[in-house]
Amino acid sequence: MRVLVIDPDPARAALVAEGLDGVDPLEVRQSAQFDAAEAASFSPDIIVVACDSADRDTLESLREAGETNPRPVVMFADRSEPGLAEQAIRAGVAAYIVDGLAPARVRPILEVAMTRFSLMQQLRGDLAKAKANLESRKVVDRAKGLLMKERGLDEDAAYKLLRKLAMDTGRPLGAVATDLLAFAGVLKGDAS
Amino acid sequence: MSSLTLGFIPLTDCAPLVAAEAKGFFAGEGLDVTLSREASWATIRDKVTVGALDAAHMLAPMALAATAGAGGPVAPMIAPLALAVNGAGVTLSNRLSLALPAGAESLQEIAAGLAAFIGQRRAAGEPPLTFAVVFTYSMHNYALRYWLAEAGVDLDRDVRLVVTPPPRMVEQLRTGQVDGVCVGAPWNTVATRGGLGRVALRTSQFWPGGPDKVLGARAEFADDDRLAPLLRALVRAQAWCDVADNRDELAALLAQPEYVGAAAEAIRPALGEELIFHREGACVPRLEHAQWFLTQMRRWKQVDGDLDAQALIASVYRPALALEALGTTGLGAPVLVNPAPLFDGTTFDAG
Repeated sequence: MRVLVIDPDPARAALVAEGLDGVDPLEVRQSAQFDAAEAASFSPDIIVVACDSADRDTLESLREAGETNPRPVVMFADRSEPGLAEQAIRAGVAAYIVDGLAPARVRPILEVAMTRFSLMQQLRGDLAKAKANLESRKVVDRAKGLLMKERGLDEDAAYKLLRKLAMDTGRPLGAVATDLLAFAGVLKGDAS
Repeated sequence: MSSLTLGFIPLTDCAPLVAAEAKGFFAGEGLDVTLSREASWATIRDKVTVGALDAAHMLAPMALAATAGAGGPVAPMIAPLALAVNGAGVTLSNRLSLALPAGAESLQEIAAGLAAFIGQRRAAGEPPLTFAVVFTYSMHNYALRYWLAEAGVDLDRDVRLVVTPPPRMVEQLRTGQVDGVCVGAPWNTVATRGGLGRVALRTSQFWPGGPDKVLGARAEFADDDRLAPLLRALVRAQAWCDVADNRDELAALLAQPEYVGAAAEAIRPALGEELIFHREGACVPRLEHAQWFLTQMRRWKQVDGDLDAQALIASVYRPALALEALGTTGLGAPVLVNPAPLFDGTTFDAG
């Protein structure tokens, strides 16, 4: 397990290492600031950062940019912010570690964060796929409608014709439907 | 006295909050305010979401993005007041400035020079230039992208855009880690005073009177009794910030380490020249501004195309609250003229 702790104070990285004692192999690296090149070469399994770190915006932007290899990020709140961590977790804002960083709690929290992260990644992937499917279905429906109108086919025959086009050209149904609609647009003068 | 905690980021346009505290406008409204300096916009958003902050200095698009759930959980917010217009800029490193054609001064000329240089680098197989912005959902990100895209730069292929905390941008210009930055005052001035580059774009040229920061709060705060006095105190402070004779005092105030923590000489130039807090209805969160942000959020695929933009804007942007504060303080309602066009002539209507 490789852990990157972003904190100017090496004490927190030491606490994390202490809490993960027994995990093998284990490499805990501490860095005062987040450095994209360093993170890429170290390739951590998880990043730990204070919730009042100036690096949070950078880390968040990496996640949003859908970088090729995203990392789970765990934040911890100091005791100077009473209640914030509990509220943040309840609101689903982030996986904050409550009450600072106690060695005994490091391992379960990091494990939960990593599990939750991979679950979220999977959900995100599923959602993107579902959206693409829906979009493709809409296009196929419109292409069917076009064929029904222009060729005087019933719905079933229009679908079969589309499917045949897809099979003949070895391309997905959605792509064939998109092309058909685009060509129809050009012939009608939409895109001239 | 009612208590309130307000968050801010060390930037010159947090001035209305600092002035309202220092000049007694909060106290005058019976408010006991704690100003909390925060290290990142993400922390501001999270703390406002969970109620650890009652309201905060916020990037205008952040309030829209949080409400739409872009890039995170849905966190409904309101923007009842704009804190300032303009104030951000793009600084190019000295190395990059030297690559521009001599005499390139206008936004179009500089962007064309940049696009040509970027094209040469790509043809030569050199790595893309790196530009830093302050946050994904910010005027800074949208202005830089729009400007470069207008000149034909492919934002996904030709340049690398990174998010960097503002104080660190100056250092990264020095070390050459970034070739350009888009950031708010005072950091462009800090960089140029340090001889680290030239300002190639000011948002006041990009979009005169264009948006930047708002006061953001969670949606429930719209019904809070403390909102009206808070807005009255802030519009009074904004009017104070705009008075020419107060600017030296304001710069000295902001320079203190608990606020912006930069030299007063670096803060002073943007006051009056760039940032407008009160004049010309600067405090009114304009629907046209939100409209433009939504077009950019769609353009860069930050929100779904089928998002109901009008409903989102109406729930977040609350110009009526700012106008009411101006009215009840006797500062008077501004004459709201149509927003100026962008540098390329693009105009807006509230649609």
